[in-house]
Amino acid sequence: MNRTKAYALFDRLRVAQLRLASLALIVMMVVTLLDVFLRYVFNSPIHGAYELVEAMLVVFVFHGMSTAFLKRRNIVIDLIDSFAPRTLVVALIRFTDLLSIATIALFAYAMITPALQSYSYGEVKMDLQVPIWYFWATALLGIAGTILCAIGALFAPADPHHTDEPV
Amino acid sequence: MAASTIGAIGVLALFTMLFLRVPVWIALTLVGFIGNSIMLGVMPTLALAGTVPFDVGASYNLSVLPLFILMGEVASETGLSSDLFKAARVALAGIRGGLAIGALAASACFGAVCGSSLATAATMTRIALPDMRKAGYDPGLASGALAAGGSLGILIPPSIILVIYSAISEQSVPRLFAAGLVPGLLLTAFYMLIVVIVTHFRKDYAPLGGSATMRERLRALKGTWQFLALFFVTIGGIYAGIFSPTEAASIGAAGAIALGIAGRRLSFAALQRSIEGTVVTCGVLFVIVFGANLFSFFMVQTQLPGLLAAGAHAANLSGPAVMVLIVIAYIGFGCFLEAIGMLLITVPVFLPLVTQFGYDPVWFGVIVVIVAEVGLIHPPVGLNLFVIQAHAPDIKITSIYRGIVPFLFAPLLLLVLMFFFPQIALWLPKLFYGAG
Repeated sequence: MNRTKAYALFDRLRVAQLRLASLALIVMMVVTLLDVFLRYVFNSPIHGAYELVEAMLVVFVFHGMSTAFLKRRNIVIDLIDSFAPRTLVVALIRFTDLLSIATIALFAYAMITPALQSYSYGEVKMDLQVPIWYFWATALLGIAGTILCAIGALFAPADPHHTDEPV
Repeated sequence: MAASTIGAIGVLALFTMLFLRVPVWIALTLVGFIGNSIMLGVMPTLALAGTVPFDVGASYNLSVLPLFILMGEVASETGLSSDLFKAARVALAGIRGGLAIGALAASACFGAVCGSSLATAATMTRIALPDMRKAGYDPGLASGALAAGGSLGILIPPSIILVIYSAISEQSVPRLFAAGLVPGLLLTAFYMLIVVIVTHFRKDYAPLGGSATMRERLRALKGTWQFLALFFVTIGGIYAGIFSPTEAASIGAAGAIALGIAGRRLSFAALQRSIEGTVVTCGVLFVIVFGANLFSFFMVQTQLPGLLAAGAHAANLSGPAVMVLIVIAYIGFGCFLEAIGMLLITVPVFLPLVTQFGYDPVWFGVIVVIVAEVGLIHPPVGLNLFVIQAHAPDIKITSIYRGIVPFLFAPLLLLVLMFFFPQIALWLPKLFYGAG
């Protein structure tokens, strides 16, 4: 498989996660809006709206990160670009690609234990009565996709201006 | 090794990594992780690193962030900025410098809704700069006004940077939004005053244009109703205690979408762009907040802020002297750090220090945002200046530098006033929510 085809595969995963996060954002907005409307007009807010927003935020945050990783959108101070040789800048980009994978994987590894604890303790959300480990699993799935997208960045050219392309 | 020495090495390592092009979130995370591992041990640090992302990513309070960003993205797509500038241009017709003052007013309004300084500067440059140049305005004055105006949105609520400050300083979002309003309006007024002063002495910088009747001015102001509706429903709702920040942000985002669709100015593709833009922006922000939390915890362990405070006391430095040094440091950081990164890196160190000297954390939040604004416009590296040059490559960067210089006095004057009259920021939160 050549680099372009491999990158395209990672990009498909990114787009899927981006759409999932977009959907979560819309649900978050609509649920809050309906909750306010029903509360003020019918004095009958949505039961568990608060927790539903929290659940959607988990989907939004952990699945929404992958684009920033694959497209190298994370904020960098690119002061060095103006005076360092291009080869050094390219090497630094490659190095930070690896660092990016390692650091996000570190978070994922660290999250496994509390996720398993949440599963074994059988904690549930107070209003929705949904097990909290569902939220952890969603977060871990999102972060796993993000790790793959961070790996996918290795297949993209290490061009300092690569980040300018549209999502 | 003393804890404070480890902290100082950590801060040094952080800046070294940033200089070497390591993304802000990685630098914060690695320094936080390694530092906490040295201070507490690896296992407790792993436990911390495991819970921080989930606590942040499942925090209802932070749901306000994507919703306000969505409102801004949609407002950018629907041409709200153009309506605001048209209204300001006609309302101020016949006044010398009216176009520049109008661009500042429109930037302040649009920036408040949009929340992004760079987006405001870019959008308003596209809309207002051609009119100003056609009217014979000096390119330096025109670009200076647009760069300065672009920076206003990060202070006038709803301010994304204040939401992020609230997350790391554990201050209330409504209180911070109330604190940012008066300084934001004052800064807008100061920028306008600078245009008046400059054009008074250099009449050739802004030739007088045609006037307008009172009827035309009033009719033009009607064009701002969409902005007014969004602003009053969201910010008014928060101030009045009718909505929580998340609810207000949802209403604002849904309102911006509804107005865009009703006015046939928001296509499905544009809506999709706005939503996806929000996801990407937040993806970038949330990982930084993960890292900032770890870094912040590390700073607490090292007691570095306490050591800095002790050093300041030992050197007989008064509170105002410490604040002046902090502001100077921020202006220096603003040369190479972007606003949110600067906030997340520095607040864990500086906030405990300033509170030890008796300063209000809400007041400090507003100060930090004002210095971040200075960082966006001060030569040679203010990002807004480059945004304007990117949109008008025929204007020399030296002209833009010359044009921005008078505008730099406005935030500096505001900072001085805030030192002597902290009530500028604090009276509105106190009025709405009582003593903190």
